[in-house]
Amino acid sequence: MFKPDTKFLVVDDFATMRKIIKKVLMELGYSQIEEADDGKPGLAAMQAAAQSGKPFGFVISDWNMPGMTGIEFLKAAKADPNLRSTPFMLVTAESEQKNIIEAAQAGVSDYVVKPFNAQTLRAKLERVYAKHHPAKAA
Amino acid sequence: MGAAHKIEINPLLDKNFLNAFVDGVVKTLSLMAGTDVKPLGPKIETKFESRGEVAGMVGMVAGNMKGTLTISYTQNSIFKILENMLGEKYTELTPDVTDAVGEMTNQIYGTAKTTLNQMGYQFEMAIPTVIQGKFYISQYHSGTTLVIPFQITGTENIFFVEVTVQV
Repeated sequence: MFKPDTKFLVVDDFATMRKIIKKVLMELGYSQIEEADDGKPGLAAMQAAAQSGKPFGFVISDWNMPGMTGIEFLKAAKADPNLRSTPFMLVTAESEQKNIIEAAQAGVSDYVVKPFNAQTLRAKLERVYAKHHPAKAA
Repeated sequence: MGAAHKIEINPLLDKNFLNAFVDGVVKTLSLMAGTDVKPLGPKIETKFESRGEVAGMVGMVAGNMKGTLTISYTQNSIFKILENMLGEKYTELTPDVTDAVGEMTNQIYGTAKTTLNQMGYQFEMAIPTVIQGKFYISQYHSGTTLVIPFQITGTENIFFVEVTVQV
């Protein structure tokens, strides 16, 4: 599983969802959690953290955001050599197949459909960890 | 000979249509807020009536069917849900409260929409609006409203899901 000092970036235009995800992460033992309210400031935060030598270890982003959407944010992060290896999970209320396929093709680490509970988020984090650290998880 | 006439049935009379919203509410509040709720007796009204002190509203469009989903909360019911959801006590209708009402409306509609679309409807995602106080929807006065009251388990707190449809 991701270490307790992992830096998380939570990106959602709804403050409530940021609070809920932050609360769940804190319950799971994580305390280094930063927030952004859209994909654009989220991408800027990722770039700034990478340049400062303290990159984020995990990004959780909503899909439906008014400025830069989650899928655009994901694609922009994957296009940046400094950010492309960062685990990236998308959150959305849309459970249609077309979204899942597009996100997978863009390189998303995993995908969680709202509504979800703490157990689901924890299971997703474990799956992403296994995907990004195959030797350790085996 | 006229063109083939499509028979239109009001979806509010379809038990599965009602259940999609009931399940959406129960699932969303259970997962996101750890709050158990139970539906009380639904009823059909010919006129939309606003209830509660804060409501999330979202337009529903599927083909030639137009409607509105409104989820109205009394202050006590939304404060209780938010306390369970965020671990914070609220005593006023602050921007945090209205933000949460909007997000829950989004999730409840998203969950119901997925079920409804699996049943053959083609509802699109839409952006919710949050309203405080009493209001009246003039453009839907000729529609029919399905009202489903919900009670938060272990409390007297009630909130209302209202689906107004014009076909």
